[in-house]
Amino acid sequence: MTSIGTGYDLSNSVFSPDGRNFQVEYAVKAVENGGTSIGIRCKDGVVLAVEKVITSKLLKPGANKRIATIDRHMGAVSSGLVPDGRHFVSRAREEASSWRKVYKSPISTSDLASRMGGYLQAYTLYSSVRPFGITAIVAGWDSEVETPVDAQVGNGPSIGSGGKAEGKKYGGPGLYMIEPSGIYWGYYGAATGKGRQTAKAELEKLDLAAGTLSLEDGVKEAARIIYVAHDDNKDKEFELEMTWISNLEGPTKGRHQEVPKELLEEAERLAKKALEGDDDDEETTDKPEDKMEE
Amino acid sequence: MFRNNYDNDSVTFSPQGRIFQVEYASEAVKQGSVVVGIVSKTHAVLVALKRNAEELSSYQKKVFAIDEHLGLSIAGLASDARVLSNFMKQQSLSSRLTYGRAIPLERLVSAIGDRAQTNTQHYGKRPYGVGLLVAGVDETGPHLFEFQPSGMTQEMVACAIGARSQMARTYLERNLDEFAACGKEDLIKHGLRALKESLAQDKELTVENCSVGVVGLGKEEILEPFKLFDGQDVRQWVDLVADGTEGEGGEGGETMEVDT
Amino acid sequence: MNHLPQAWGRPRDDVYGPYDASYLQSSHGPNQHTQSPIVTGTSVIALKFKDGVVIAADNLASYGSLARFTDVKRLRKFADSTVVGFGGDVSDMQYLDRLLISLDTEEAYSSSGHTLNAKNLHTYLAKVFYKRRSDFNPLWNQVLVAGLDGEKKPFLASADLLGTTFTSPSLATGFGAHLAQPLLRKVAPDEEAAAKLTREQAIEAVKESMKVLFYRDARSLDKYSIAVVTKDGIDLKEDEQLEKQSWAFAEGIRGYGTQVN
Repeated sequence: MTSIGTGYDLSNSVFSPDGRNFQVEYAVKAVENGGTSIGIRCKDGVVLAVEKVITSKLLKPGANKRIATIDRHMGAVSSGLVPDGRHFVSRAREEASSWRKVYKSPISTSDLASRMGGYLQAYTLYSSVRPFGITAIVAGWDSEVETPVDAQVGNGPSIGSGGKAEGKKYGGPGLYMIEPSGIYWGYYGAATGKGRQTAKAELEKLDLAAGTLSLEDGVKEAARIIYVAHDDNKDKEFELEMTWISNLEGPTKGRHQEVPKELLEEAERLAKKALEGDDDDEETTDKPEDKMEE
Repeated sequence: MFRNNYDNDSVTFSPQGRIFQVEYASEAVKQGSVVVGIVSKTHAVLVALKRNAEELSSYQKKVFAIDEHLGLSIAGLASDARVLSNFMKQQSLSSRLTYGRAIPLERLVSAIGDRAQTNTQHYGKRPYGVGLLVAGVDETGPHLFEFQPSGMTQEMVACAIGARSQMARTYLERNLDEFAACGKEDLIKHGLRALKESLAQDKELTVENCSVGVVGLGKEEILEPFKLFDGQDVRQWVDLVADGTEGEGGEGGETMEVDT
Repeated sequence: MNHLPQAWGRPRDDVYGPYDASYLQSSHGPNQHTQSPIVTGTSVIALKFKDGVVIAADNLASYGSLARFTDVKRLRKFADSTVVGFGGDVSDMQYLDRLLISLDTEEAYSSSGHTLNAKNLHTYLAKVFYKRRSDFNPLWNQVLVAGLDGEKKPFLASADLLGTTFTSPSLATGFGAHLAQPLLRKVAPDEEAAAKLTREQAIEAVKESMKVLFYRDARSLDKYSIAVVTKDGIDLKEDEQLEKQSWAFAEGIRGYGTQVN
């Protein structure tokens, strides 16, 4: 690596002569070694999924959750240094609750991403701190209908003028990915961690921009993609953790919750089947080729 | 000699994305004597090997009660552990005062994890040089958590940390399936056997160097508060697993590593 | 020597003269926080029965003697397992409700099955009240907390602006403490009696008490909310109407109707 030995990579917030901040780039390296995390923005909700590599047989199965709730309607997952991920989450929770204190209503996903982008960026500015060793994916559902502000007790007069714009569409699913530099983008499908390349390739096949994928199919795709992305790393066992947020009519009523056990198991079964199917396909297509070459 | 430039503080990433100061802190955990923790469906136990500085001195305390429903054992810098355990005592007490509720273990352990993480991201601080095993019972039953200097906390079925703890972990992995159904007595026996695996060759378990901590649910889900056993109180179990009383022979570890 | 509590710790006026506020920097005398509630809700009443608790409050918020807001929901749910009924200042109620929303959100951070039960919540609210009154800045409410305790048994307790707490098989705040409480006690004089009540009996007793309160309490309304909390959850109705009212008794009241003296 060209950065090593130049001395420009030893402290945070220092530019190299060609305008790079190496400590931020090294933080990204910490992310690239972490378990794969993905998020999918569906028409009626958002899904988060993470591959948890089992580092020890002594770990309690099913415990040690990696996807966190930020506010009732919002969740986050990250790849990289797990304790940094927890720091990210506790700050995000503070942002969400302070937003409620000021505005008496939930923070939107885009506003939270903006706040957290700013927070991570601040950790690239000073030599007294290091950047976050994580890339985080934030998912939320912003209410599509007018909801009462927090602690609203009544509706006031039922007659008289209102101030609502007719026909304007509000709310919907939100999905953002925030990197160690503090940069963030909105996504239809986001992936980070070790298996991100494979996962991204799979996400691109889904044509998410069309906005037709249903939440339940999204859950199944998410499970499959985590399994596919893990495939290169077969020797290590892993646990799949998934959460979702549906619209107000949907199964979670706009709340961030774990995907129910039955659906999770069903999605995992389908994912394994799809993998086996792939292998079969390869075998059947490979065999004639092999013969021809021979 | 090659000089590693990336290990002077905990705010510098190496080109591979590692933080050496944090990794060095986990070496401090391995300097401490071994502690073992196991949970079953009803109980959680902590078993620890105590060290004395010299023949005539007293033994270093390894297991501490935090609240009625939980306790912890330490490996590494005892003074760092005291900072963390004082904090945990405050948190537990505050939960009882504010809500009249025993604090959920996961929350307490996360709180010290978050504190430890801060020490790995700011210049002028250093990571804690101690690993903890936290055992207790809350509304959702018995739990065992491991805490590391990085701020990583994990819920375990069984765990061992400290000097030569790999051998204890191997024992735990081999017997993993039995733990869930164990009662208090069997759990302690497993703990002591795991501890024995990690002993240096010239050492053995005695009433002086063993500590046992137990907490669990008794009949009708009634809490049996965290209780610490030392000295003659552990004889009942130490004798049970003493050499010769069991089929288990001492398999060789590394030779001549004196654990002091 | 004045032994009344309001004189405790004060310099005696007959020895030292009345307190001279002009020594203070501010021209308005000492700093003062809330001295009285502004927009208020009246009674909350509640009764335990064998499987849970029934709790009710009307939907009125008064501004002095003016019936200012008539669709105010004074029963607030917490975590789908507890109902808190608020009497007293409505803006303080809203503050407390937001406090409970944030508490509920924090509880939901971990999905591992921990929740604050009604008993925990009552302890918490009492601490909040006591802290605020000790700062001389009270939250001007009396609340009833209805739900289940740690053993899944019906739980009902009161906490008020002073941080005072108590519990009983039936409870009522405000005017209800005078008018409804005796009626409810007739139905459930003690815990044993309450443990024999059915859901229907409890609802009936509470509705009957709400009616008496509407007859006699000038700051009340015949639109009310009623909730039944059991281990199966909360059944909350927020837009109920008092039925089968009979004002015949009013004819005999001196100063009312035709009989003016």
